[in-house]
Amino acid sequence: MSTPDPIERLGVRLFEAAREEPVPEDAAARVLDAARARQLTPVPRLSRRAKWSLLGAAAALAAGTALLLGRHESVERISAEPSSALMHGPQRVAPAVPAPAPKAVASEASRVAPTTSTPAPVHSTHVSLSDELDALKVASGALSAGDNQGALTALDRYDHVLKGTKMRAEASLLRIEALSRSGQTGAASALAQQFVDTNPESPLADRARSFVKQ
Amino acid sequence: MRLRTLPLRDDVSGTRSKVLAVGVAPGRAPSQTIEQLVNLHYRFVWRVLRGFGLSSSDAEDAAQQVFMIAMRKLDSIDSSRERSFVYGTAMHVASNLRRGVRRRREVPEDHDTERAASASGSPEKQTELANARVLLAEILAQLPERSRRVLVLAEIEQLEVPEIANLERIPVGTAASRLRLARQQFRALLEAAQDRNPFTGAT
Repeated sequence: MSTPDPIERLGVRLFEAAREEPVPEDAAARVLDAARARQLTPVPRLSRRAKWSLLGAAAALAAGTALLLGRHESVERISAEPSSALMHGPQRVAPAVPAPAPKAVASEASRVAPTTSTPAPVHSTHVSLSDELDALKVASGALSAGDNQGALTALDRYDHVLKGTKMRAEASLLRIEALSRSGQTGAASALAQQFVDTNPESPLADRARSFVKQ
Repeated sequence: MRLRTLPLRDDVSGTRSKVLAVGVAPGRAPSQTIEQLVNLHYRFVWRVLRGFGLSSSDAEDAAQQVFMIAMRKLDSIDSSRERSFVYGTAMHVASNLRRGVRRRREVPEDHDTERAASASGSPEKQTELANARVLLAEILAQLPERSRRVLVLAEIEQLEVPEIANLERIPVGTAASRLRLARQQFRALLEAAQDRNPFTGAT
């Protein structure tokens, strides 16, 4: 049904022209590419309380186990431990520090046997902060007990089974510590450097920086 | 001036879907991921940004900003107000962007017209449509901000008054009167510009 009013018809046609304008090709895909790139770099924000509580726990655990580890490191052949943390290659999906593994890590990974740990069944899609904290407590506990492999396995579970997002920075730092203590200082340094590069403003950056080899 | 109201093209795939409640269409699950959010709302965001006077390329940049912001806040976006969120964010981003863009232009750049002219369809038809969009942008740019927003939502996005009220966060009565005024203002400007009618056929 047409309208006799030419002004109205002109208006209708102008708006039709606007509606028919094609969205630039692949524009939405470009947004998604940018979103994926962005998702690889940021560390989710934590509440101040969560950050400090975890930092405090990590510091206490580190201090409490430093002497113990120092005694055992000369005896244990820790460097021979398989590093699940270095499984950042094709088999693994989500690294703790979300960025491509540097060459140093890749080269060490090729020398390290794959982990034999069997991850727990896949968690539900919704993982609470409490779940993530629990996983990291396990890792911290293992680290404080000198069980570096256990810590790395727990961190693998955090990364790949829980697919944790809320405590990734803390998980990354625990992984760096576990790697360092297990003698894989090169990998620890590379991950620490990645952490510092991608999270320069993080309150954990200074701690990570201390693992970077000069 | 009373313009037609048609079903809404909402998602990127061009599927026709009439959105009854602002935010999420009936039976449509809320976006759980940024991918879903982009797929559902990219076309809406981009077209609204175009309606607010941004060039095609600026609208694309602004849309990207909108979804980057949405990604950061995805967990806190109420699933029933996703559309409202991206709209509000788009307004904010467009407002910021236009401050810089205004010094350069208020209407699409020439290369937007060229891009449109190179789209599918006869060159004459595409040129006609591109010129129509330029004229529309010029007229919309002369409208007060509030009028422009409701008119874009009503005539380009073809939303109903309650939906416009919801997005604009104003009472339905206010939205209706604002839209009525916007149509009057638009018509007056269109009358003044009718000698620039881009359509070669009878209008």
